[in-house]
Amino acid sequence: MSILANKDTYVVIQGGVAGVNAARRMAEFCYLIKRSLNVLAFVYPPDAGKSHEIPYGSGLVAVPIYKTVAEATKNHPQINTSLVYIGADRAMKGGMEALDDTHIKVVSMITEGVPEKDAKILGRHATKLGKVFNGPSSIGIVSAGSCRLGVIGGAFDNLVLSKLYREGSFGVITKSGGLSNEIIWICSQFADGITTAIGIGGDAYPGTDYVSYLEMFENDPQTKAVVIVGEMGGDLEERAAEWYGAKKRRVKLMAVVSGFCQESLPKGMKFGHAGAKEGLKGEGSARAKSDALKNAGAIVPATFGALGPAIKEAYQEMLKSGLVKEPVEPASLPKLPKTVEEAMKADEVMVAPLIRTTISDDRGDEPCYDGYPASELINKGYEIPHVVGLLWDKRLISKQEAEIIKRIMMLSADHGPCVSGALGTIIAACAGIGMSQSVAAGLIMIGPRFGGAVTDAGRYFKYAVDNKMTVDEFLVYMKKNHGPVPGIGHRVKSLRNPDKRVKELVGYVKSLNTKTPCLDFALEVEKVTSVKKDNLILNVDGTMAAVLVDIGFPVDSLNGFFILSRTIGLIGHWVDQKRQDSRLIRLFDYLVNYAAPKRREVPPLK
Amino acid sequence: MAKVLEGPGMGLMKKWGITVPNYVVVTSVDELTKLGQANEWLKKSKLVVKAHEALGSRFKLGLVKVDLDFKGAEAAAKEMLGRQVGSITVTQVIVSEMIPHKEEYYCAVKSTREGTDILVANCGGIEVESNWERVKRLALEVGQQPSADALEKVAKEAGFTGPLVKKMADFAGKMFTCFDSEDAQYLEVNPVVLREQDGELIALDAVTLLDGDAKFRHPDWNFAFAAEFGRAYSKHEMEVMAVDSKIKGSVKFIEIPGGDTAMLPAGGGASVYYSDAVVARGGKLANYAEYSGDPPDWAVEVLTDKVCSLPGIKNIIVGGAIANFTDVKKTFGGIINGFRKAKSEGKLKGVKIWVRRGGPREKEGLDAMRALKDEGFDINVFDRNTPLTDIVDKALQNK
Repeated sequence: MSILANKDTYVVIQGGVAGVNAARRMAEFCYLIKRSLNVLAFVYPPDAGKSHEIPYGSGLVAVPIYKTVAEATKNHPQINTSLVYIGADRAMKGGMEALDDTHIKVVSMITEGVPEKDAKILGRHATKLGKVFNGPSSIGIVSAGSCRLGVIGGAFDNLVLSKLYREGSFGVITKSGGLSNEIIWICSQFADGITTAIGIGGDAYPGTDYVSYLEMFENDPQTKAVVIVGEMGGDLEERAAEWYGAKKRRVKLMAVVSGFCQESLPKGMKFGHAGAKEGLKGEGSARAKSDALKNAGAIVPATFGALGPAIKEAYQEMLKSGLVKEPVEPASLPKLPKTVEEAMKADEVMVAPLIRTTISDDRGDEPCYDGYPASELINKGYEIPHVVGLLWDKRLISKQEAEIIKRIMMLSADHGPCVSGALGTIIAACAGIGMSQSVAAGLIMIGPRFGGAVTDAGRYFKYAVDNKMTVDEFLVYMKKNHGPVPGIGHRVKSLRNPDKRVKELVGYVKSLNTKTPCLDFALEVEKVTSVKKDNLILNVDGTMAAVLVDIGFPVDSLNGFFILSRTIGLIGHWVDQKRQDSRLIRLFDYLVNYAAPKRREVPPLK
Repeated sequence: MAKVLEGPGMGLMKKWGITVPNYVVVTSVDELTKLGQANEWLKKSKLVVKAHEALGSRFKLGLVKVDLDFKGAEAAAKEMLGRQVGSITVTQVIVSEMIPHKEEYYCAVKSTREGTDILVANCGGIEVESNWERVKRLALEVGQQPSADALEKVAKEAGFTGPLVKKMADFAGKMFTCFDSEDAQYLEVNPVVLREQDGELIALDAVTLLDGDAKFRHPDWNFAFAAEFGRAYSKHEMEVMAVDSKIKGSVKFIEIPGGDTAMLPAGGGASVYYSDAVVARGGKLANYAEYSGDPPDWAVEVLTDKVCSLPGIKNIIVGGAIANFTDVKKTFGGIINGFRKAKSEGKLKGVKIWVRRGGPREKEGLDAMRALKDEGFDINVFDRNTPLTDIVDKALQNK
């Protein structure tokens, strides 16, 4: 047996994130004691109609979210308890809503900082209706082996350590959340554990006081003793003492009260709990409370530390008198399934990875490129081309190589609005499309006829050089197997109207006096082809390709240099159109050769 | 509970129709001089000047001057402003009109578990404190309003007679309305006086405690709350309060000058048991502190920094019960950062640190604390198997 919360307790949680977290903790407890999840509904108007997925064991339970408590209890008539996790400014309204619902008998408010007046009105309203209003600022209520309301009891391991999976003989009532857990644990270590533990909250006027709960414990035959953890301020402990002393009680009362330090501290000093303050006329001091409890016959150890041994002594007496029997521990307990991450950390499971990467890792405090921390690269003077080298070819390129890449990027960053890529981006921008899509529209154009010949050019020049071909052999090979030589030929440039970008790049690379077999070969090819037709010159794609192959970049990465560089230009075009607030454009009719058949009659459908 | 100084307290009473003397709160003599030109009563009436600070026994400290003309009030203000009393500098004075009277009475309204008590006595000032049995009580249930009849009845019981019965009943009724409407927890007027010229009841003084938690529905509470223990908050205390107001969970810090045992425990409940243990073992608390409700680690770090900055400390008690949901590893992370910072600033020399804690990720948190030993900290770490306050016994035995 227990009080307030048991196997038949079903819960609606009013509130958002904090409530969901509590539901998770409650699910852990339900799993431990092998009952189904006792949270049947949430009430949270902004998310009404959706549901929260609450982990239970290794699965997930979908708990629906409603707009009102009435809707929740209509759909789940077993609900008899509400936990309120609503902000202090709206808590009273939420609490009232729950109390006024005929299905709900117990309302426990977890919210802290609720105005005292509101708490008093809620408490009063509950009393009138014959219901229980617990809190505000309650950590929750837990009945061992049957029901947990809120996060009281802590993490799963602690539930097990504190033997909350089965009933003991001690009831617990505390104002403090942290100490409720401590006492539950003490009861499990020095005695046979608890029946029910209740956090009543540390406010000045909790909705339900010690006496009401003592009365309930008195009527619960399983509970043999009740431990109260009190503190200075108010008169709840005095009232408990009065109740205990009024007549012979079945339950044994044990208590500690905090706040003796008050006697040597500045008067009126504010402590952690709103209710922990001595009265204006000195009433409610720890000493007064402690004395009242002692005089009423309660066991009141001098310090908190002495509580454990006192509980042990009380328990040993109960054992001796036959009032209680040694508890039988279950042979085994469910273990909370670990998440994959936890299990991996504990070396309990091996997971086959889905993808494999060899270039970067951002799991630390900053990204590492091929193992080198980004900040260190920056601080040691490395630049963007080095990052390209690390991520595309997994090597730290030299200063000279970086300079070549930088020049390639600068030379091919943009080529005006008329080329396929830029035009694609501009048309998209004018149609009001966002940056990433518009830039992608331009990038899509990069292919065999526009900017996308770098990889192929590199591939074939390299093939020729690797196979020590002569220019003539190469041209025959290409004609026979692949067609026109990629990297050779230009739409508008020619021998008489050379491409300055090519001249610039070739000039620079040649000035370095390094070996450039591919570039040399490409220039030899140009000599032959440009004689045949004067626009069959080495174009910028071919030049880049030859240079990049010479400095060792893998053939498959080569188009990337053009894509990367041109993206700079495409972004520029998009921003440019955006800045001008350009209007939607369409082709003029006179730019189209309408070669479709003339208008004609549609034949009947056969 | 939030204490409000006399000026704003009287302002609230005036708002609800209680007659209070004319008064002004000023921060400089110049301001008072200007107000004197604008307000006739300052020149005409006899005046009272009081330091407008959260100070006890102002009379003894010479921070209350009565029966002054305007010149005298200016002189008194000049003398009081800027005076240093303990940790407090007087920055404001309240100048109010003296009300000639013969009779003094008492009226208070206070929150009780059952509802509200209205207290009335037909004596006032210090007389009421020595004659508490003359204070009569009207107890109201939660949500109940006092009827005119009930108020007159309690006034009669308190010994009021004739027209004064209704006057006192009205006065008490207004006090209740003010109390109820302003989310007050305690209102006291001592004395209530009978103004000779027109026989009206005037509130000469106001003790006002409001429910700070209800601030959200009182946009006109534009005043700061005062410290409740006879001194102003220190710079470090205010810094921790500023953090506390910003975060999920809470951090609290109050300095107690002269102590040598510093407190850095978790939990509004456990922290008091730790403080009790220190006092019970004959130790001297250097502060009260507490963190709870899974506060962010940076907030705990700020708190740690303040605790480590306390002068003359020998021990730091990093206690705590078995947490429900406060992440021990994370909050200890904040404490550890604070300790490291303090050490790098040359603090914590010869200071012993005592740790006891349980809760989510307790093992990781306690291991991290233990590892501080290797960094040269004098630290002793215990887990849940050591009873809550035993670290205090160990710390103070070592003395």
